[in-house]
Amino acid sequence: MTGHEAPLLPLSGAFALGIFAGAWSGAAPARLLLAGILLLAVGVCALALRRDGAAVAVLLALAVVLGALRAATDPLPADHIARAALAPVVNVEGRLAEEPVRWAPDRTRLILDVDGLVDGEDRRPASGRLQVTLYGETPAVGEGQRVAVGLKLSRPRGFRNPDAFDYPAFLRREGILLVGTGRAESLLPLTADEPPWPVRVKRWAVTTIGAHLPEISAALLAGLILGEKTGLPRETEEAFRRAGVYHILAVSGFNVALLASSVFFVLAALSVPRRTTAVAAGAALVGFALVVGGQASVLRATVMGLVLLAATLLDRESQLMNALALGALLLLAWRPADLWDPGFQLSFAATAGIIYLTPAITSWLEGRRWPRWLATAVAVSVGAQAAVAPVMLAHFNQLSLISVVANLVVVPLAAAGTTLGMLALVVALANAVAADVLFQALWLVLLALRAAVWAAAAVPAAMVHLPAPVWAATVAWFGALMLVPVLGTRRWARVTVTACLVAALALFIWPWVRPGDGRLRVTFLDVGQGDAVLVELPEGPRLLVDGGPGGARRLDVGERVLAPFLWNRPAGRVDVVAVTHSDSDHSGGLRAVLTRFRVGEVWENGRWGPGSEDTLRAVERSGACRRTLVSGQRIWLGSALLTVLSPDGTLPIDEPAPMGENEESLVFRLDWRGFSLLLTGDLGRPGEERLLASRAPVRALALKVGHHGSRFSSGEEFLAATRAAIAVISVGARSPFGHPTAEALARLEAAGARIYRTDRDGAVIFETDGATLSITRWASGVVERFDLDPERET
Amino acid sequence: MSYSRPQLKLLLVLAAVLLAGLGVREWRAGFPNAAERLERFDREDPPPPIPPAPRVRVAPRWAAPRPEPTASARLVQPQRPRASAAPPIPSADPRPLDLNRASADEISRLPGVGPSLARRIIEERDRRGRFESPDGLRGILGMGPKKLAALREYVTVGE
Repeated sequence: MTGHEAPLLPLSGAFALGIFAGAWSGAAPARLLLAGILLLAVGVCALALRRDGAAVAVLLALAVVLGALRAATDPLPADHIARAALAPVVNVEGRLAEEPVRWAPDRTRLILDVDGLVDGEDRRPASGRLQVTLYGETPAVGEGQRVAVGLKLSRPRGFRNPDAFDYPAFLRREGILLVGTGRAESLLPLTADEPPWPVRVKRWAVTTIGAHLPEISAALLAGLILGEKTGLPRETEEAFRRAGVYHILAVSGFNVALLASSVFFVLAALSVPRRTTAVAAGAALVGFALVVGGQASVLRATVMGLVLLAATLLDRESQLMNALALGALLLLAWRPADLWDPGFQLSFAATAGIIYLTPAITSWLEGRRWPRWLATAVAVSVGAQAAVAPVMLAHFNQLSLISVVANLVVVPLAAAGTTLGMLALVVALANAVAADVLFQALWLVLLALRAAVWAAAAVPAAMVHLPAPVWAATVAWFGALMLVPVLGTRRWARVTVTACLVAALALFIWPWVRPGDGRLRVTFLDVGQGDAVLVELPEGPRLLVDGGPGGARRLDVGERVLAPFLWNRPAGRVDVVAVTHSDSDHSGGLRAVLTRFRVGEVWENGRWGPGSEDTLRAVERSGACRRTLVSGQRIWLGSALLTVLSPDGTLPIDEPAPMGENEESLVFRLDWRGFSLLLTGDLGRPGEERLLASRAPVRALALKVGHHGSRFSSGEEFLAATRAAIAVISVGARSPFGHPTAEALARLEAAGARIYRTDRDGAVIFETDGATLSITRWASGVVERFDLDPERET
Repeated sequence: MSYSRPQLKLLLVLAAVLLAGLGVREWRAGFPNAAERLERFDREDPPPPIPPAPRVRVAPRWAAPRPEPTASARLVQPQRPRASAAPPIPSADPRPLDLNRASADEISRLPGVGPSLARRIIEERDRRGRFESPDGLRGILGMGPKKLAALREYVTVGE
């Protein structure tokens, strides 16, 4: 497609490039303005001199400058809450910007647009947006309501690990610079819950669906029609991801097209004039967009739909690619930060892929005597998948292999379900019984849809997880896609496409085939309050000790941190998972690891306490060989020797631990050349004394400090015996238990250990070749080097 | 009849939907349990909860008598009687089975041990040379602590 057919495409591309470059370089707005004025002058001259080519180039450069200007951040207003000097607890007044999300029975998330800070009698105006988490039973409040709440405010914190999702940056793009936590009881509604009409319509729709359909199907329908996914069980959502059909749960061009064509079809069947129909469809689209809210995909689809309808009204031929470019331009001008939003990228990539690639693929398939309907359906699916694959890999490390097939079945069912659902909702306005009949028919469709998704997700290797591609690989891939439409006609195109594909593939598989550097790596991951340590041996074996906190109703570190970290290594396999004990901050995140990776062996202390049911079940189902370790065992893992020091096996596993479960933690040491590491789980004083009494070899170069730096761990005698020069504390910032404690830190310092903390340093990474050890504090990027020469150690 | 083709299609689809809806309504009213099962076909039941351990009263930590470490005890195995020093074990079988001499067939006659576990025990013995104590069975796949405790009185280790 050339610029002549889609004149807005180069412009919106240049604008996006400008936003990206502006955010990256942080150029001063004054300079950009100056550059813009100069460019404008040059452009006028070029036009006057009839140099049209030069004028176009100047125009594009101007678009880049405008993009950069749009991306330049405004200084915070003087009354912004992030500027205020804040007391430990502040009373904030503000308006709810969104409906509250209840993501666990006792946790609710609010987005609050602050308008005032209250200090006793004193109220001063303020501005800014907050993300608030409330603990406890939250009273019913809704979007648009003004509330007062007592909050502890802080800067947002993410998990700072290599290749990790940058949560503070994500919030900053949403305009949120501070997060707050508070008790739900302190929330005081200041105005009545009178939300704007779109919110009321949405609430009514969700309630109506829930009244007529059983729970899971209702949640699915709410997702299909309104993009409302909160009620959907996790397994179901996961199945949609695996099958590669998650996009139908987001409101997108799919819904918009169905809505518009339903309106068209019904009105046409009633012989309403074409223009009236177009106006009615446009009104329906705008109303729908207001109700479902402002995700990028909704806005993109609505803009495109309106452009196409306007073309119908004006009897003009419409260019899909041009409409798409206009959508991108408007959206980016309004919300430039959306450029980094996966939803924005996926929506535009998929649509562009469909528009650009479908005709070529369809004609190629028809040339091979495929029936037209099948060729089109397959071409749409392939085009979208080819375009979104790099985006999916970059953000989620996911590649669904089944999706082309799954979409062929799922999309028609979803279309039927969405259309019927919208019809049923309209009927429900008039008559509940008639609506119920429609909803019951709809239930069958939803069950069929779920069955299809479930079957597709159950196929082995339905989804594979791969590392995020490097930039060059992505560029080569899109370069190849660009040339697909001319493949049949030009010979050079074939050569270029082949070259691009080979380059993309080679760059992509490089991480696997890269020769090792003969170093041992130990990564103490930043998982908040909890432990997760990955040991990678130069020969390849990987040992994961503990998996951080996780579980069904909380933030699952296994899913959010460990899985992406391992996928980017790249690792399909974890040879050994060691569970020091079953507390949820050590074993909780392992469920996600055991279900997503091939695990060779699970080492455990044999004691699974309440709360670890899900992890235990995952262990049982993983097919990994289970070993219950006791002191005295020695195990070679690659070229490293692991020696188990605890538990001593005197306590039968079905008897309660007299000193507490922490004292039964798996403790072991790892020796590799001149490096040694002691991993103590959550061992406390009694366990340490038991180790000393048994004369276990605890002396080590590095110590993973027991129990996150609790004051009941790391006693003087024990530290003296370990003689550790390096101590790593795996702990979350603002730990609810007050870890690490001043007492433990003082004892560690007195023992002469150099302390690394995951709450301050992010991930702590050891790299050693046996003679030298380098330690990286990931958050600050500081690297320290130590000599491990045993001669000099004394 | 003067219906256009699109009108006919629309009306036919609508009739089919209404029929299906009425049918499902009837069926769900008649068999609510079956409908409920069908609705939950892709859900799995939550795993059975692990019961909390009963609370035990603990003697003061510092009062607990601690065995003096022996001079040779570096990283000792749990304090279990060695087979050579073991007191005679009351048992139906006059002599406990010598793990270092027994054949797979003999081992598989032990309580709770089947042919495949016996084979793994033999493999482990071949790998290590010999078992130093019955505790050596620990860590063999399928040999849990309970099974080992139950076996202890039937087995010994010879030179």
